[in-house]
Amino acid sequence: MGIRRVLQRELRRIVHEPRYLVILTAGIVFTFVFFASMTKEGQPKRLPVAVVDMDGSYLSRRICHELDATPGVHVSAVYNNHTEARKAMQRGEIFAFYEIPSGTYNTLLQFRAPHFVLYVNSAYMLAGTLSYKQLATMGMLAGAAVQREVYRKKGYTEEQIMGLIQPVEYDTRTIGNPWINYGNYLMTTLIPAVIAFIAVMHTAYIIARERQKKTLRSWLRKAGGNVLKALIGKLLPYTCWYILLCLTANLIMFGFMGFPMEGSWMLMTVNTILLIVASQCVGAFIACCIPDPPLTMGISAIYSAMSFSLSGFSFPVESMPTFFTSFSWLYPIRHYFLNYSDIAIFGNGFLHCWPRFCALLAFGILPIAGSMMLAWQMRQQQADSTDSTQQRRPQAL
Amino acid sequence: MINTLKDIWMVLSIEVRRVFSDRMVLLIFFLAPLLYPLIFCFIYHNENVENMSVAIVDESPSEDSRRFIYKLNSTPELSVDFRCNTLDEAKRLMRDHKARAIFYFPKDYSSKLASLQTARIVVFSDMSSFYFYKAALTGGNSVLIDEMHTIELQRYEQAGLSPTEASIQMQPVIFENVTSFNPSGGYGSFFLPVLLILVIHQTLFLGICILCGDANENRHAMILIPPHLRTKSVHRVIFGRSLCYLIIYTPLCILDLWFIPRWFGLPQLGNLYTILGFLLPFILAVIFFGMTIGNLMVRQKITPMLCFVFFSVVLFFLTGMVWPQSSMPRFWLFFSYLFPSTPGVQGFVKIASMGGNLEIVRHEYMTLWFQAATYFVTACVVTYWKNNKRHRRSQQIHRQHQRITAMTNR
Repeated sequence: MGIRRVLQRELRRIVHEPRYLVILTAGIVFTFVFFASMTKEGQPKRLPVAVVDMDGSYLSRRICHELDATPGVHVSAVYNNHTEARKAMQRGEIFAFYEIPSGTYNTLLQFRAPHFVLYVNSAYMLAGTLSYKQLATMGMLAGAAVQREVYRKKGYTEEQIMGLIQPVEYDTRTIGNPWINYGNYLMTTLIPAVIAFIAVMHTAYIIARERQKKTLRSWLRKAGGNVLKALIGKLLPYTCWYILLCLTANLIMFGFMGFPMEGSWMLMTVNTILLIVASQCVGAFIACCIPDPPLTMGISAIYSAMSFSLSGFSFPVESMPTFFTSFSWLYPIRHYFLNYSDIAIFGNGFLHCWPRFCALLAFGILPIAGSMMLAWQMRQQQADSTDSTQQRRPQAL
Repeated sequence: MINTLKDIWMVLSIEVRRVFSDRMVLLIFFLAPLLYPLIFCFIYHNENVENMSVAIVDESPSEDSRRFIYKLNSTPELSVDFRCNTLDEAKRLMRDHKARAIFYFPKDYSSKLASLQTARIVVFSDMSSFYFYKAALTGGNSVLIDEMHTIELQRYEQAGLSPTEASIQMQPVIFENVTSFNPSGGYGSFFLPVLLILVIHQTLFLGICILCGDANENRHAMILIPPHLRTKSVHRVIFGRSLCYLIIYTPLCILDLWFIPRWFGLPQLGNLYTILGFLLPFILAVIFFGMTIGNLMVRQKITPMLCFVFFSVVLFFLTGMVWPQSSMPRFWLFFSYLFPSTPGVQGFVKIASMGGNLEIVRHEYMTLWFQAATYFVTACVVTYWKNNKRHRRSQQIHRQHQRITAMTNR
């Protein structure tokens, strides 16, 4: 059978020149280790914040201490004026600061409300939001502490006090990520996205390399001239390898690292397999259609570079302009991500996922189209070469 | 001196010709820095999640809950699209991705409010994207604070306090929030300045690596360089080439980092001269970094595309814009300073988004000059070593060839 001969040829190649497979695998492992160790703590801890203490009183010092005791932030400096603090914020040394104006303690003693200002640097998305959240909560609690003291003196019960201080509260349940772990949110989509990215590029590369080394013909001859068989035989080892890598990554994330997995493992495995195969289909299509090897790599890079954004795990695709919402369907990782959120977050079954499975399967049309394209190119080339030999023959004569 | 300039000029003109005759390099040098900023600016044009659909389960229909729901609907972030009778129904909507959050008012909501206790609202949020959670949180919190004031005021009046007394009781301390540098908290304003610098970094780096790979594949690229420059005065070659890339990238940088942010309304507080002054060491550092890596590692023209492109994601996280540098593990912090993108992004964001000047970004600026100097030396060493190796090999081949011809002649 044609496929087996191509497969043997490709395996021999891999054994002889394993360089790129090793480099890319190392790249995937590196990326995994990088993100796992970076987001180990779940959320950034000990964010530096500051206090501008213009009051210098007992109260302002106590606020400093309480800020330092707030989880997630630590007071890295106390400044005397606003300009110094602003500059420190511009230098990126602190992410937020409280400004305590002079005369605060006196105001409080006069039973008037002192005025605190909280400045937050939101150019740093995560750090700004988190430090804001912590400092605002601390501010609310500080206010509540003052209120509570007053009510205690007035003889209210604790329950009444809570009712007065906080009449309504939220009980937030974050589905699919109960600890609001950034690593969980990030890695579950980013790692498969990186593997899919590499699968597209590598597939495009190995086909472009046949063109570059002018071994296209000998490759197709092994498959008996059937381009589709030649493609399958050639890509099969890589398919298996990348599926193995992606499944291992998922196993580590959902198994050992304990990221929530509500649904069935089998659906997730199918999802992973389809992601890799669909990505390879895209890579094969690009490489088959574009006759120039460097251009092939350029186009597949341009295509793949947008996959992280258009998967929609960072900024929701639904909130992008309408064109990109439809455009994102051209990316296997988008379907993977939607399936992932169905399976792992909500525990949905096959009934919810099948449209996306079908969409991923539909990427299978691409290599068929690509192989037809390649066959046509080969025929064209043959015709050209016979033309030129026919033209040359009279001259030779 | 004149000789040096002449040599540099010669290398420069050769390099310009090489860049413009290579389709792949043209694609990377010109198309990518023009295309990506535009595409990504369009993608993130809507900075925030707006009118996210929310399901409401109200098990204690009352004036209080209705007022709360009404306020939720009027926030820009949320839109109450579904009113469900049971929690299961709402959860089903969430499972179908129709509702991204659920606000559930339990049976005792109004009775607790009436008996002056703390009433509880349960919020379920879809965590598939942090932005759904953020929208639910921002919209929900603004309503919560507003609603708390309304209820508190009622309660104090019931307790017999005068309105002024009540207002002091309610807010013993007044907190004001000032969100600086990205007031809407938009994703685009945060992400795009980082992306713009990364695009410049990655395209320039890749282009140079590809040119190195090309020189390695095609011998004639080497022959173009005059023999006296191949080993001894290698720094002139490095200078000449970098001048070529610098000339190409200066207009691109002005377009990408000055005009595009203006057209798309991204934060732009820095001035042009500060930005250009800051970018000079950045571009130089990237060029020399590219030459070092390119000469050291790249053997084939298409390898860089295959091996380095996916690395952009890692670089993005190494910049410290997402995961702050203060919380980064020590090792990754040092590792991040191997790449010019880290100080480049940090510095550019501080200038463009936060209105800093060169004094504010002194740390990044000095780091970039230091990187540029270090990578210049490494680029010289690597190029010298490589040319020397090649020179020796060609001499060897030449000698063998002579020996063979001598033998055959004999």
